[in-house]
Amino acid sequence: MLILAPPPPADETVTSHARAQLDRFAKTKIEPLPEPSATFQLRVAGIGLACLFLAVAGQLTRLAVKADGMVQVSAAVVDPVARSYSRPDIVDANGRLLATDVEVHSLYADPSRIADRDEAIEKLSAVLPDLDEAELRKALSDRNRHFAWVRRGLTPKMAQAVHDLGLPGFAFRRELRRAYPLGALAGHLLGRVDPDNKGVAGIERYIDDHVGIDGVLTSRPTERPPVRLSIEIGAQAGLEAELAEAMTRYKAAGAAAVIMDATTGEIAASASFPRTEPARIADATDIVKKDRLQSGTYELGSIFKMMTVAAALDSGSVTPETMLDVRVPLQAGRYVIKDQHSAGRPLSVTEIFLHSSNVGSGMLALDGGATAQQAFLRRAGLLTPIATQAGPVTPPVTPARWDRTETITISYGHGIAVAPLQFAAAASALINGGQSVAPSYIKRRPTDPAPAPTQVVSAQTSAAMRTIMRRNVTDAHGTGKRADVPGYEVGGKTGTADIAGPRGYRQGGVISSFLAAFPMSQPRYVMLVLLFEPQATAETGGKRLAGLTAAPVASRIITRLGPLLER
Amino acid sequence: MHTLTLASIFFALSSAFLLYGLTYDTRLVEQRVHAAERLADRARSDIAILRAERAHLARPERIEPIARALGLRPTQSDQVMNTRMAGADSDR
Repeated sequence: MLILAPPPPADETVTSHARAQLDRFAKTKIEPLPEPSATFQLRVAGIGLACLFLAVAGQLTRLAVKADGMVQVSAAVVDPVARSYSRPDIVDANGRLLATDVEVHSLYADPSRIADRDEAIEKLSAVLPDLDEAELRKALSDRNRHFAWVRRGLTPKMAQAVHDLGLPGFAFRRELRRAYPLGALAGHLLGRVDPDNKGVAGIERYIDDHVGIDGVLTSRPTERPPVRLSIEIGAQAGLEAELAEAMTRYKAAGAAAVIMDATTGEIAASASFPRTEPARIADATDIVKKDRLQSGTYELGSIFKMMTVAAALDSGSVTPETMLDVRVPLQAGRYVIKDQHSAGRPLSVTEIFLHSSNVGSGMLALDGGATAQQAFLRRAGLLTPIATQAGPVTPPVTPARWDRTETITISYGHGIAVAPLQFAAAASALINGGQSVAPSYIKRRPTDPAPAPTQVVSAQTSAAMRTIMRRNVTDAHGTGKRADVPGYEVGGKTGTADIAGPRGYRQGGVISSFLAAFPMSQPRYVMLVLLFEPQATAETGGKRLAGLTAAPVASRIITRLGPLLER
Repeated sequence: MHTLTLASIFFALSSAFLLYGLTYDTRLVEQRVHAAERLADRARSDIAILRAERAHLARPERIEPIARALGLRPTQSDQVMNTRMAGADSDR
């Protein structure tokens, strides 16, 4: 029989076990951890500090070196939010000022900060009488807005008066505004700018597109060099004064003239009446004040005979002495073309020009034919649109059908309408040796590449045209004899054109013109003068012919401007 | 060790003061530059206005009546002579 001994009590066993373990631990010798050395700690701290200082030094160096980059970034941020523009000055050929930017004060409001809107509007109206109260009330009614223009471009006196009102919620911003110190002088040419000082027409628009303007938030003027025009203020003023006098003398509805360098196409003076003032916004939409030189096309009449005669001479089919029997009227469809003052005898080509014979001109055109006429006019640049720095020139209006009738009428300047400036450029080629010119309002620098000219007529034809045009002024029978100026060898051609209306040609209204060049031995200038609807006077013997109106005006202009242009 | 710690603290403190001083000076210089720029802008604006006023006062529409009142008139063609012709005249 197996007798099992009873197990020792549990708590007694555990206690003894734990005691044994404790005894073992007590006997174990614990070794202390080795202490880190002081040098090592210092090194770590030193390296850490050195790294921090290096980082600071590096950052400072980077900021110093990259300063330009920071400026560029801020400029890039500023540019898209620019509210106005600074523009380069416009000066004439001699550097005299025509347009510049000046600082003005512009009044704006923060509607959320205006205490009493009605009182503010009332007080402002007292200082700014032409203020649109209804519009301002509307602009200030939105309390969530923080900005609304009240009036831009205040004079210093007006700005001070508004400032003295002490209205809360109103403040000024200094802006640049375009100033035209010469008023309406060369107004059509200069064009205009919008309230943000951005060019919208004329040379101002050209500056935006080709020269460059700077977006600004302040009133700092640009450092760009001025834009130098080819016109000269003295000549321009003289031309405008003579045209104004001609308007009064002949009670004309309008007048225009351009003087152009016959070889380079640079325009020394150009004017269109009634004038426009660049600073007056209302003038922009006034159709009466449009630029008659390049923003309108007209049937120019007999000055077109220059083209007809030049084309005939250049084709080699006739010479200046070739005789044509102009006594027989020409049949053109249902119309009969005859000369008002027939010589009653055959005329040479030169005499056709001098007598301004419509029949002779028609015969010369018919001799070449419609195709040759079109080809010549295209070569002369009269059938394709052109442009100047002042904007695009109104494209020529040509007949849809170009048959016998059109060939005859176009030979003496009816049935085709071109801008006067385009005709003056085409006429330059006929007398300058035969090379085409592009009209330009910008002074060309010697380093600028000149546009490649095309040969419109031969040098011989050009020489013949110079002789014929000079004879038209010196000959007793010449229509342009009243245009002569001693010492200037003036040559030219007159034109008296009926004005086209909605129902055929208008009764009683003509455009009288004179295309002049001087000196004819070696032409330097081409000038086109136009009088719109001149009235017959006692001085003109009750007639409105160009030889009695436009030609004398051309003479007066050359007399006055010649000495200025000679410089 | 003690010396190095003190030196580092001294260096750090002096750098802090130096940087503070530099920042302060920079702001001062910046203010001066801005003031000078404002003056320059003012001068530029005044110049632009004066040039425009001069051009306005010298406009032909104003000068011409004054000149005529003084007995002057536009140059006539007989007052101008070709210099080559003048040379030929003197040779004769």
